[in-house]
Formats: sequence, C-alpha cells, structure tokens
Amino acid sequence: MVREARELHRKGVIASMVSWRGPLLGLVLLLPVALLLSGCPKKPEVQTAAPAAVAPEPAEEVVVVVEEEVVIETEEGPVTIQDVFFDYDKSVIRPDAREALDEDLSVLNENPGLRVVIEGHCDERGTNEYNLALGERRAKAVRTYLMAGGVDSDRISTISYGEERPFCLGHGETAWQCNRRGHFVVVE
Amino acid sequence: MKALRRSFLVFLVLVGGLPPVSGWTQVDITVTRTVIQRIPVAVVGLAPFHLESGGADLAAQASSILMDDLEFSMIFEVLPPSFLPFEAREVQLGTEEEVLPPLNKLKVQAMVAAELTMRGNDLILEGRVYNVARGTFLGGKRYFGDVKALRTMVHRLADEVVLRLTGERGIAATRIAYASKTKRATELYLMDYDGRNSVLVTGNRSINLSPRFSPDGRLLAYTSYRDGNPDLYLLNLETGRRDKVSALPGLNISPAWSPDGRWLALSLSKDGGTNLYLMRRMGKGLRRLTNGIGISVSASFSANGRQIAFTSDRGGSPQIYVIDIEGTNLHRLSFKGGYNASPKWSPRGDKIAFISDRGGGGFQIYLMSPDGSGVQQMTTLGSNEDPAWSPDGRHLVFMSTRGGKKDIYLMHADGSGQRRLTRNGFINFAPDWSP
Repeated sequence: MVREARELHRKGVIASMVSWRGPLLGLVLLLPVALLLSGCPKKPEVQTAAPAAVAPEPAEEVVVVVEEEVVIETEEGPVTIQDVFFDYDKSVIRPDAREALDEDLSVLNENPGLRVVIEGHCDERGTNEYNLALGERRAKAVRTYLMAGGVDSDRISTISYGEERPFCLGHGETAWQCNRRGHFVVVE
Repeated sequence: MKALRRSFLVFLVLVGGLPPVSGWTQVDITVTRTVIQRIPVAVVGLAPFHLESGGADLAAQASSILMDDLEFSMIFEVLPPSFLPFEAREVQLGTEEEVLPPLNKLKVQAMVAAELTMRGNDLILEGRVYNVARGTFLGGKRYFGDVKALRTMVHRLADEVVLRLTGERGIAATRIAYASKTKRATELYLMDYDGRNSVLVTGNRSINLSPRFSPDGRLLAYTSYRDGNPDLYLLNLETGRRDKVSALPGLNISPAWSPDGRWLALSLSKDGGTNLYLMRRMGKGLRRLTNGIGISVSASFSANGRQIAFTSDRGGSPQIYVIDIEGTNLHRLSFKGGYNASPKWSPRGDKIAFISDRGGGGFQIYLMSPDGSGVQQMTTLGSNEDPAWSPDGRHLVFMSTRGGKKDIYLMHADGSGQRRLTRNGFINFAPDWSP
C-alpha cells in the first residue's frame, strides 16, 4: 500500500504522505483495486428444489485404511495373491471367491517354496468376540480349500483378527464387504 | 341389498388379501416400575479449605464428589444443601451432633459430617456417619493421603457411609477396565468408576481385548496379540506380573471367572470350531464344555457358579444358551431377533443382561430372567454393546455409539441415569467392572 501511494505521489496525485489525507486517499483509491483483486463474493448458487417424492441416498463414506494384496515375484513376473471375500455372517466360499482362490491355488502350486498366512477378517457388525471366531472360521475355510487343491498343510497357517484390523473404515455395505475377507500374507 | 352384499364381499376380499399390519406383532416385554426407597442423607461440614491462597477449594471438591457418589449409588437421596435450615458447610466436627434434631425434623435419616485438614504434607479427610432418627453415631474414618489422592479418599468415605448404613460394600472406589483403540493399537486401561484417572494397563502396541477382573479384584484376565497370536494372559494388578495362561493354537479368547475365582471359562479353536472350555486359573485342568464345529463364545458364570450362559450359533444364528458346568442341560434362552449375544449374569443371580438386534437398527441392551422370560429393554439410543454389571448388581457399564462413536457409559439396573464416562476421542469399548 505504501509503495502504491509513493507511485501516485511521484505522479503528483497525492500531495503528501505525511498527513492523514495521503493514506486516506490512498485507501480510497486502492479499495476498488483490492476488491477486484480479492474477487467479488460469489452469488449464492440457486438451489433447485429436489423432487418431494424420493430423497437421494446419502453417499456412503468409505476410507480405505489398508489395501495390500500380496504381490510376489515369479519367473513370469509379479503375481498377485488375491484376497477372498465373504457374505455377511458366512464362511462359505462363494463362486466369485472360488475363482480368485483357484488362481491363488495355481500360484501356490507353481511356487512350492511359498508359505502363506491366511488372516480372517470381519465387518464391524456383531460382537468383537463372536467376530474373532467368525474370522477364524473364514481363515480355516480358505485353508481347507487350498489343501483340497493339493497345497501342503504346513505351508498354510491361519490367524483371525475378527473386526479388529479393518481394511476399510465406514458404516455401509461397501466398507463392510471390504472387511469380510480372507487376506493373504507371505511368510518370509 | 344385492349391491350392499356385493360391495361387502368385495370389501372382504380386499381386506383378506392385505398383508398383516406390521406394527401389530405380539410383544413379550414386561415393564416393571420399581419404587426404590432411598435413604435421605445430608452431607455437612467440609468448610472451605485451600492449599494455598487463591488455590482451589479442595473441600468443595470433596463435598461434590461425596454427594455424587452417594446419589449415584441408588441407595441414598442426597438433600441439596440449600434445603437445610442451617449453613451446612459451617458445621464443625466436634459439634456436628447439634444439627441432628433439625435434620430429624426434615425426615432426614442419615448424616455424614466431614472435614478436610492438613498435617505436614498429608491431606486428612475425616468423616463421621450418623443415624439421624436415633441420634446415634455409627462410626467414622480418617483418611491420610497426598493431595492427588483426594478423589480416592472421598470415594472410600462414600463406601464407608454405605457400609455403616446398609452393611453392603459400596462401589465408589471401584474401577472400570476397558479397551481403547487408536490407529496403531488397541490397549487396555483402568479408570475410576466415574470416568476419572485413566491409566494404561497394557502398552504392548498390539491388540488387547476382553479385560475381566477376577472376583477378588487382584487379577485381570485378557486376550492379547502381543506375541503374534490371540493368547490369554493374567495380569496381577498389585505386583504387575503377567502370566500367559493359555497359548494354544488358534483362539484363546473371551475369558470368564467362576465366582470363587478358581476357574476360568474361555473359548478355544484348537479342536475345530470355537468351543467353551474350563481351566484352572493358571492353565491346568483343561476340560472341554461344548462340542461341534460351531461358535461358542462370551461365557458368563451364574452367581452360584453352577451354570454358564454364552453366545452360540449352533442353532443357525448367534443366540444365548445356558449349560451346567458339568456339561449337561444345554438349552437355548433367546428366541426373538436374529442376533442375541454377550450374556452377563448379574452378581445377584436374578437377571441376565444381553444385547439383541430384535428392535432393528443396531444392538440394544436387554435384561431377562435366567429362564429367558421377562425381557426388559434398557437402551434405545444408538447401538449399545458389551454390558457388564457393577459388583452390587445395581448398575451396568456398557459401550454405546449414541455420541457418534464408541464410548463407555453407565446406567442403573432399571435403565435410568445413563451417562457417558469416556471423552478422549478414541474408540472405547469392552468395559468390565472391578469387584
């Protein structure tokens, strides 16, 4: 502001900077400039009234906390060992999970040195204690499937985390499905 | 007439074809209103006391804590000091008997006269308990401690008042264990029953769950992942010594103490399925209680130690079952709702607290009689889990999401007086109440 006033002073616009008139005049001159530079306050957006019949569903908020499916280096390049997802309160291997597991089975059979831990996880619903047992059941179901596919039992161990280590934070089906899983971890 | 009959027939067809009105299911809820006779009590004395000039009035704090403790107990009705025909705080120890007659006129039945003084570095709290109607002195206590111990001293005095007037042990000096989840870990804490003075109990930066006080209050059982597997530990609260008492393959979870403190019920998954087992507290004498490939967790002993209530999905969904400790007489208690869990048998033996989704939208806490009848709903706001009884069976501590996230709350056994205990911004759950 001082620099501006000096400019104007040099141009002979402002008589003196010492008296209060100078700064005041400078202010008055600069005010519209300042306003222009700061931007006019936006006009409030016109809200169109939502149709009264149907209220829109609030968008589900999901925060992904951990997203790491195991990637291992093989002769054919990096390969993902896919996690297996479950239905609510179930430990049954469903069809889409079976596809993923069959691919995991190939990876395990082609890499006989590979050892894994299967972690069983649950969504936040239900009690912590029950969910520890449900997660255990899920991990064991995946292990049983892999053993039936020929993987040696001492290459697979299991652990349950129940609802204690979620992959996604949120309170709707997206987050819940994200957490209902058997998660693979490679043992070094 | 024909037209009328036709339209009547049409009406019948229409009504007959309608689905049953949904709000009209028969509900098995018994609401009992118990009128509890509280003992009217007055707290006198505790004249202003400051450690240094301009400092806080410690006696006012003490008075407030004492009155809160007595009021919360559900045993007393504390008379507001403004109701008294004299200046309560001006009553001095030594002449406190002078105010017994005016208190008697007001139908006050009990009086506590107290005083806070200093000797050297010690704070001294003295309290005297009176039966007002008879004008008799029932007993007194003097507590010595550091200023930091003021709350504890007052809580002990409140318990002394309960003891002198009812013969029962009060709960003012009891504590609550709970789990607190941060981004990195789930650790166990202890706090006073009023939510103050939280201290860290674990601190192993892993997952710690299901804290359970032994009946003598000396040990805390809990499950911890500190060594990579959910194992069962006992922590001696007096010495700090930790023992790993069950580290079998798979789960070693949801411990429950027998009333005589000699046995622990726990759930193990080592044999396929997660089943209930009994073992002596240091791990010996393991005996299997339930069988099958299903899930049985969350055991709770009856007050007489002869039965165990637990959660099991053996019927297709999580429900409450009871079994004798010999392993016989297994029967189901809950039949409404798709998820009934976390049974907690009252120390008085007459009620089982549990959680249920029968009302829709999350869990609520209910009470039922040990035969499964007389179900009463205790909570309505938010989702509520993890009930645990106070040692006198008059109150419950539990977890609720009604404040936006999981926190620890208290309520009386009739559902009244619901109040929040934790306010630290973390996720707090799994409370247990010390003896």
